[in-house]
Amino acid sequence: MSSDADRTGKAGVIVAPDDASPIDKLAHSVLDDLLYNIVHDLLIKVHRDEKTARANTAAIKIEKMASEASETSTPDSRPDVRIETDSAIYEDGKVLLKGNPLKTTKDVLCPRCHLPRLLHPTDGKGAKKPDPGIIYCKKHPYIEKPGFDIYGQTWVAPGPGRGKKKKDMEKKLDPNDASSPAPGEGTAKDRPPNVLSFPSATCSKCKRCILVTRLNNHMGSCIGNSGRNASRAAAQKISNGGSNGGSQNNDNTPPGSQKGTPLPASRAASPRKRDGDEFDEDADESDPTNPKKKKLKPTTLTKKVILKTKGNPANKKDKVKGNSMLSVEQRADDDDSKDSTVQVAPKKSASKGGPSPTKKQKLVPVKPQLPFSAPKKVKRDHDVESESSGTLSSPPQ
Amino acid sequence: MAARPGTPASPKNFKIQPPQPGQPLYGCEHVQRLFNQDQATTNTSIQHYKAILRNILDYSPINAQTAKAAEGVTVTASLTSTYLCLQCPSTLTEDDCVKHGNKKSHRFYVDSRSGALYCQMCDDIVWDPTFEDLRLTKMGTGSFTASRKRKQDDLLAVDPVKDNPQYISTNTTVASCKASGLRGIYNAGATCYQNVVLQSFLHNPVLRNFYLSDGHQSSNCEVPYCLSCAMDDMFQDFYAVENTNGYTAANILSGFWISEKKAFENLVTTKEQDAHEFFQFLAEELHERNGDGKKPETGSEHSCNCIIHQTFYGKLQSTTTCQNCSGVTNQVQSFLDLSLPLENLTQKKGKKNGNAKTPAMTLQECLDEEYIKSDKCEYRCHNCNSMQQARRQTAIKCLPNVLSIQLKRFEFKQGRNERAAKIETPVHFPLQLNMLPYTERARTGDTKENFELARACTYDLLSVVVHVGEIDTGHYVSYCRVGDQWFAFNDHKVELASKSDVLSAKAYLLFYIVRSLA
Repeated sequence: MSSDADRTGKAGVIVAPDDASPIDKLAHSVLDDLLYNIVHDLLIKVHRDEKTARANTAAIKIEKMASEASETSTPDSRPDVRIETDSAIYEDGKVLLKGNPLKTTKDVLCPRCHLPRLLHPTDGKGAKKPDPGIIYCKKHPYIEKPGFDIYGQTWVAPGPGRGKKKKDMEKKLDPNDASSPAPGEGTAKDRPPNVLSFPSATCSKCKRCILVTRLNNHMGSCIGNSGRNASRAAAQKISNGGSNGGSQNNDNTPPGSQKGTPLPASRAASPRKRDGDEFDEDADESDPTNPKKKKLKPTTLTKKVILKTKGNPANKKDKVKGNSMLSVEQRADDDDSKDSTVQVAPKKSASKGGPSPTKKQKLVPVKPQLPFSAPKKVKRDHDVESESSGTLSSPPQ
Repeated sequence: MAARPGTPASPKNFKIQPPQPGQPLYGCEHVQRLFNQDQATTNTSIQHYKAILRNILDYSPINAQTAKAAEGVTVTASLTSTYLCLQCPSTLTEDDCVKHGNKKSHRFYVDSRSGALYCQMCDDIVWDPTFEDLRLTKMGTGSFTASRKRKQDDLLAVDPVKDNPQYISTNTTVASCKASGLRGIYNAGATCYQNVVLQSFLHNPVLRNFYLSDGHQSSNCEVPYCLSCAMDDMFQDFYAVENTNGYTAANILSGFWISEKKAFENLVTTKEQDAHEFFQFLAEELHERNGDGKKPETGSEHSCNCIIHQTFYGKLQSTTTCQNCSGVTNQVQSFLDLSLPLENLTQKKGKKNGNAKTPAMTLQECLDEEYIKSDKCEYRCHNCNSMQQARRQTAIKCLPNVLSIQLKRFEFKQGRNERAAKIETPVHFPLQLNMLPYTERARTGDTKENFELARACTYDLLSVVVHVGEIDTGHYVSYCRVGDQWFAFNDHKVELASKSDVLSAKAYLLFYIVRSLA
């Protein structure tokens, strides 16, 4: 117990009555001390954050003044000047504090962009109007306001509900497409900027633009049912379900015919279609390569792109189609169709607007450089290589 | 070595932290004066500070909490902070600091509960870069050199060329201050079970650092529909782009649909699914894309250097003791997460209390049940060469960097009407979890006084996945911590959350991160 804990602990909040027993008084003072510790810990944490931020602000300010004073062009060098402000001294390339930064420095500068930090949220709880004459750091305090998210955004009620049919969705999207080049732009102008609508996304398989809330269902029917395994599984299910259902529901169709009929039709029709789709995917696949990489700007960019265009189509075909009998003859057409499909892709996404178009346009000029006879050969080699590396790659460290 | 008390003064001269742009060199003018006297003063100051930190962190708190002036006049133990003089071995109460300072002109004191430095001339706590660096490394790793062998050593390996600040600044793009990694993910139609797991991955510092440092470059990967590439793109979109609108996880979704994992075939439907199953799926898929390519065999001791293993995988050891011959067999297996059954304990507690209302439990009670208590089982003993009664006990042999815990709220009830049911029992979980009692070391050795080990086994809550609603129709939401602030993620909507919101949630999945890494 601390020395002044005759009646209470350090916080002096939880006080035992005068006539309490000694053990009562002890319990009170222990609880009081613990309360004091909790507040003390919180305070130290906040104090550390705030004082360090202010001290760094003082340093940033004086470093900026020093580099302006010396007028050297290299930003990283430490100019040999002496500058003194109310809060710090700059000398021999060192920043020395003057006084307590909590008293000398009033604002906080962002250590990254060196712009002042906005200290209060712009809306909701504890909001204050920011000074319109100041350009603030883009990191704002988060907004706490019912019905809005941390950025003060809210959403328009999602379009047609779950119960609505696909047709309704497409009807709703079509007029937008016709009226304006970018879907949804017409309605967006009527709304305040912080009211967002649900976006659409492109299905990586069929390239159709699907409202995000329908995306999972769409992929279920687009990818889930068209995949090799899924169709097999479906066939299995039909045969199982047919035999079971046949006995229970008095279904007259013999199980054999239920299973048998759909197969030849689907086999014959599908592969050609699929090929076209796959090439769309290739073009799309390479576009998410985000330009804003964190580390190591890709100096080998062009190399990568070439690798991709060479390697992927063949690679993927083998993955998806596996032992399909058609794959060998098909390849000849593929090379022709490649250029046409790739050029379609940028148009589509350009209308959507995003970081991808630039990337895609970079991609296109690369392709014609490839001699047409060569890729096939390379492709094959690559197949073997990537097939094996797909399973056995990554050196054990 | 560094932790041994009373290390003789090494001839090595201590250096203060080199000047960093945008940061003052010293905590205050007075620390500046202290460090600029002569090398001997700098040496003793830093040595004393280290000794004080050891005293605070490696020994029983009673040491540092007991105030004893140098003359040995008063000895008082306190629950609140005492102040350890930086220049002599005195420990003082707050009031005695002033007297001591006036008498001896010792002006720097260390807070006994946080290790923070108090400057009497500023009459304030000062955060000096040199002292702070020592304090943080000591608190984080338990030693001053930060070279302890841990699993993440590979992650922290320093490349002398690539670690050069000049190299980093010329080869990186600085993300906008607005890109904070806080974005919602749109629900693509009953995909909230994916969104909650993705959010917990996005706010996992280990995974974030891996992907943001080009751990898996989507531009270099040739696997079609690679889920790791989709993750890479998603991390870029969250942490490098100014967009605050929700994210459309189309690539994750298509990668997920196209994945040919047999074990998870039942996941690939448009129905609502189990978030825990998706977590397992994603972990295994990312392991295969980044790791040795081997399928993780369940029940075996599979170790791999991939990011998923370094993040989530730990090892369990189950010890079976034959009741006949007392022979012991050990079996080690790796785990991705700890699954804690709730049903038995709920019933046990319900019986004890005798009322129909389901009583609340604590996470520690569930862990006790699984990793401290032993259970009876039958097994074939090699010594006795027959079936014998045995006691089996499971403990954690190796703790992961990120500990994921599943509270089994969905149980398949056996009986007349067999169906899965959801257990709604509230389970209280802490913000800070000590895993030491559940480790193999705690069972075999005395770890009571080993504060360093206890600190290495301390975990902080990172994210919570909550299922609301019935078993077959419901919604997933999650809470994730960024720094000290909690956020609630409900599909595309991100809101601020208080600690009490988080702690009162009926958790389904819990992610804890080891403190010494954070």
